[in-house]
Amino acid sequence: MPLLSTLNNPMNTFAPAKWLLSLLLAVTVTNESLAQVQPDGHGVAFFETHIRPIFFQHCYTCHADSQDKREGGLVLDSKAGLEMGGHRGEFVVPHDAGASLLWQAVQYHDAELQMPPAAPLPPESLHKLRQWIELGAPLPNETTPSSLTAPSDPEAGKSHWAFQPLSTVVPMHSENDLSGSAIDVLVDTLRQQNQLATAPLADRATLLRRLTLLLHGLMPTPSELDHFVNDPAPDAYSRLVDRLLASPRFGERWGRHWLDLARYADSNGSDENFLFREAWRYRNWVLNALNEDIPFDRFTKLQIAGDLLPHDTVEQRDQQRIATGFLLLGPKVLLGNDPENQKMEIADELIDTIGRVYHAQTLGCARCHNHKFDPVPTRDYYALAGIFTSTQVMEQRFMLNEQRVMEQLIGLGENGIDQDDAYEKYWRERNQLGIRKDKAREALDALNKGDQEAFKKIAEANVDAVASEANDTARTLDERKGAQQKLADALTKAWNEPPAIPQRAMVSLDRPQPSDEAIRIAGQFTQKGETIPRGFLTVLTDAQPDNKSALPTSGSGRLELSQWLTAGNQRSGQTTARVISNRVWYHLMGRGLVRTVDNFGRTGETPSNPPLLDYLARRLIEKEWSLKELIREIVLSDTFRLSSELDAGNYAVDPDNVFLWRYNRRKIDPEAFRDSTLQLAGQLDLNVYSSTVHYLGDQATAVGPNTVRRRTDFPCRSVYLPVIRNDLPEIFEILDFTDPQVATGMRRQTIVPTQGLFLLNDNQVMDAATQIAKRACQQPEQSIEQKMSWAYKHILGNGPSQEENSTLVQAYQSLLNSLPADKPDRELHALSIVVHAILASSRFQYYE
Amino acid sequence: MACFQFDRISTRRDMLRRSGAGFASLAFSAMLGGTSQTTLFGSESPLAAKQPHFTPRAKRIIFLFMWGGPSHVDLFDPKPVLNAHAGQPLNGNTVGHPSPNLGTLMGTPFRFRQHGDGGIWISELFPHLAKHADRLCVVRSMHTEGTAHGEALLRLHTGHSNLVRPSVGSWISYGLGSESDELPAFVTISPPRGHGGVQNYGSAFLPAIHQGTAIGSAEIPISKARVSHIGNSKLDAPTQSEQLKLIQALNQSHLQSAKTDRGIEGLIANYELAFRMQSAIPATMNLDSETAETHRLYGINEDKTDNFGRQCLLARKLAESGVRYIQVSTDYTWDHHQKLRDGIVGECKQVDKPIAGLLEDLARRGLLEDTLVVWGSEFGRTPTAENNDGRGHHPQAFTIWMAGGGVKGGLTYGATDDFGYKPVENGVHMHDLHASLLYALGMDHKRLTYRYAGRDFRLTDIYGNVVEALWT
Repeated sequence: MPLLSTLNNPMNTFAPAKWLLSLLLAVTVTNESLAQVQPDGHGVAFFETHIRPIFFQHCYTCHADSQDKREGGLVLDSKAGLEMGGHRGEFVVPHDAGASLLWQAVQYHDAELQMPPAAPLPPESLHKLRQWIELGAPLPNETTPSSLTAPSDPEAGKSHWAFQPLSTVVPMHSENDLSGSAIDVLVDTLRQQNQLATAPLADRATLLRRLTLLLHGLMPTPSELDHFVNDPAPDAYSRLVDRLLASPRFGERWGRHWLDLARYADSNGSDENFLFREAWRYRNWVLNALNEDIPFDRFTKLQIAGDLLPHDTVEQRDQQRIATGFLLLGPKVLLGNDPENQKMEIADELIDTIGRVYHAQTLGCARCHNHKFDPVPTRDYYALAGIFTSTQVMEQRFMLNEQRVMEQLIGLGENGIDQDDAYEKYWRERNQLGIRKDKAREALDALNKGDQEAFKKIAEANVDAVASEANDTARTLDERKGAQQKLADALTKAWNEPPAIPQRAMVSLDRPQPSDEAIRIAGQFTQKGETIPRGFLTVLTDAQPDNKSALPTSGSGRLELSQWLTAGNQRSGQTTARVISNRVWYHLMGRGLVRTVDNFGRTGETPSNPPLLDYLARRLIEKEWSLKELIREIVLSDTFRLSSELDAGNYAVDPDNVFLWRYNRRKIDPEAFRDSTLQLAGQLDLNVYSSTVHYLGDQATAVGPNTVRRRTDFPCRSVYLPVIRNDLPEIFEILDFTDPQVATGMRRQTIVPTQGLFLLNDNQVMDAATQIAKRACQQPEQSIEQKMSWAYKHILGNGPSQEENSTLVQAYQSLLNSLPADKPDRELHALSIVVHAILASSRFQYYE
Repeated sequence: MACFQFDRISTRRDMLRRSGAGFASLAFSAMLGGTSQTTLFGSESPLAAKQPHFTPRAKRIIFLFMWGGPSHVDLFDPKPVLNAHAGQPLNGNTVGHPSPNLGTLMGTPFRFRQHGDGGIWISELFPHLAKHADRLCVVRSMHTEGTAHGEALLRLHTGHSNLVRPSVGSWISYGLGSESDELPAFVTISPPRGHGGVQNYGSAFLPAIHQGTAIGSAEIPISKARVSHIGNSKLDAPTQSEQLKLIQALNQSHLQSAKTDRGIEGLIANYELAFRMQSAIPATMNLDSETAETHRLYGINEDKTDNFGRQCLLARKLAESGVRYIQVSTDYTWDHHQKLRDGIVGECKQVDKPIAGLLEDLARRGLLEDTLVVWGSEFGRTPTAENNDGRGHHPQAFTIWMAGGGVKGGLTYGATDDFGYKPVENGVHMHDLHASLLYALGMDHKRLTYRYAGRDFRLTDIYGNVVEALWT
């Protein structure tokens, strides 16, 4: 079956070590034939097995025809090159290591000649090189064996599945069944090929809970449940979908998915965990954009180049600027970092983020060398680097008594820039203000005491600390005192009452003089190589007549990059559409069609259903990049509505449900757990929140005496809680929140003891249980059976079965009996313990 | 040489089958008999003890972290030439630095003396530790990068500063698993909240179970520290047992309707383990069960040494219980930019007796031979003065020492120049230290890899050389 053969593509499972091994094997095979025809076959085999891999791994980056790199005139991937040597002279002197430049360079003894530049080779490699020279430095007759076509070669790389143009998929309904959506047909084809039976559709209660959790991150209310379960209209389900998609709760859920990718955080993390005081504006912009269903191509352009797009109003300009916060959110090494190094690290973080988010590629690997697995040469990396080093994301700011390089903040509103400048000026000059204030006070004291001598001395030394009227001896003493008093009071007030922080946001701008970036050899920021014109990934760029001049030199190139990433008629945009559709599918189905949602490269997995993936990507582009339309189409499919029921036969063949014979049961995430629990307790505040970090100091985590920590006691939805890097709210940390340090498309689902301890012992969970128990007691039904049933159904959106209810009631009775008879509220207490158990149980922890 | 093997390979399956004390494990054995043989995390627990790559020298490591950067030239690396030139400018020429003036040299106010058969030089500030001189293997030629604390801390703990990488303890947990059925493999006592905070004991892309379990944090006295959620504020133990029984009954009913589900099965087993940890951790943390003599040994209940003494004793108890990597951190107190003299006297007083007590206690219990104790920090301090009477940050050279775990006691390894400015003999980079710690535990730092984002990662990235010379 062709599909299975792609699944078994060995590239999927290559670990570097295995990859190297296979390279060796490949070379050895090539070489066996050489060995047969050559008398010195043994020596050549030695070269191919031990030496070429060293050159390949450590030297080809700078010295190989295949890479178009001939530094120092030295070429190591051809026989001629090896024999000829470079500008310094002969590369090897056969049988004489001491006289060989190669040996001198790898020894690292001579400060002038040390190779490879990053670090000395390991001792075993040195040993092999020496052996090879002593063998007479045997070489094969051939030049580069074909098996060594560099993985980073972008032309060859175009054949990788992820870089192909989208196929045109026409779903073929079978003759006897014309029902079902295109998605269902494409899924069914594979199910049939694998002889898998399809699970029945889920019942309405299950479906409602599933959909409400997925689209809103909340539980359905009992009235929503009754309404939907009893709605006889044929379009009941599609109306439900419409209602959920139109609610502002949708953006709070799906915006969070994007924030995972945007590595959103309210602090820098890393070495100095400074607060990102204004990051929340970007967060709320994202939630709003999802609710408004801003087309994904525009959504992208706004975040990468919003500051460069035209606008009609100041408000619009500010919103567009806020969107570029996306580029500023990464963690940065802030102290003791060389500015040039910091610039390259910031660019690296952005290249990595954008590569991962849009194309599911690990571009960061190409910083130090051509990519070892994917068609990304170092040149491409530095072509992108130029775009980001031409972008200003940092600025000088005065903070914590020092002039520092911090994330760039720009004032919002009509006079925002001026207000921001005034604010910054105040802090920059505050130390002088302090001196001035003290001197003004001293001068006043001197006047009050009548000590003219002292006053004069102060006035001469501190002109700005004395009011001109006070200095005017022609005036009366009272007038002078009054004037000085006024000035001293004004200065004291200015000192005691710093101006309020103006409205401002994290915003990127183009640098005044954008420029291309030089390759950094082995990623060392001081080791500059060739300068590369700014541009995009070669493997995703189709030859255009004037491709070289595609980027204007006047701007950074961010605007063009954002257009290239979302060009639906080019492979660059189609790849984006594939990656994004797969992400949407992953969130709705619990497993991506490409399981490795952040890695579509050769080390990632291949799609389980390529036609379906391309179909979804095409639909996304056709529907003008509307994410809501894509979500609607998927959730309306039967595939989405299947129950999670187990079929033993299917399970034996496809235990991981790759072919979607049922719906995947999944663990609830921390936000949905917390929000639902608060909602059930009647304590969730559904208002939009602004900053929840405003009370924190500039240092977001404690060093020394600063122990103010982020709060989690806001009753808001979890998406508004503080995301302080290295100090996440405990519930996030424990229940598998995203890692806000890197763009992450897939959250891990772990089962670790800390989760059990949290669910058993957390005070907020227990408080919520008590509140829910109180609500159960307030219901008109008075018997304990009825209260219990109400609580269970309320929490789990279904049930309980009679058996389950009697288990609950028994437990309740037993708990009640064990409580002292005179304990106040003992019924409530016992009921709370049972409710807590329901919250901790697998039915609440999982949805299906 | 007493060469030991890892004699007991305990899997989570073994553990779950073993009938421990108390309700929970009994209830669980019953369940296992009924429905499923699946163990906690699918086939085998990621914390199951694993075989190292080769015969290890140590089974576990206790890392004593002096947060802030103690001055090497005042503690372990005496420099008569520095003292002789005190008050004069340090010309970069003499230490291979381009700057003509690196600041004014400041001599040490402290006296050094050689101790033990190995003649280890130790300053007068560590009188108790000096008695163990022949157990110490002092490395004077450490060097690293990062002139700011944050960067240097991240490099010390994870090997990197600009990228998020698993911490040393997480790698060790991943490589070796836990020797204990009830405790994690990596515990960090009073870790810093700043300068990278949890990143310094985080598991990054390694499975979350390998993250360090924190007990308290640096600014909290250890006697007040708790592991979060380890106890219940509202329910007594019998009531909580009842409740757990109900939770598990509900889970079982769910599992029955799902027929088979690894997630639900995992959840069921996980509650049992959590419940057991809930009694195991407080029992280990309770130091009252130790004798008064032991308390005295560590300086517990003495004014200056009580806190660090408790931390060290807790470390010993964790080591004894099978935890693989235990870090003990001081508060952010070694950063002596001014008034070094007063500051360092006070800091040394707080840790000297507890550390000596720890070495003695481990030795008495026969634990020192397979427990590697490491004393160190993120960097050293400049030989030149800052603010007249302090020293600045100095990643170019500093000293660490090790004891136990098969290291050569009484050895002084590596050397710095006349001013302690940079190593001139047998330099040991932070990556080399990391490679060597893994080596001590029987792991090859080049083979301990984890696949993430299409690449095999390791603690030492592409660097690191094992300093085998430190071991017998």
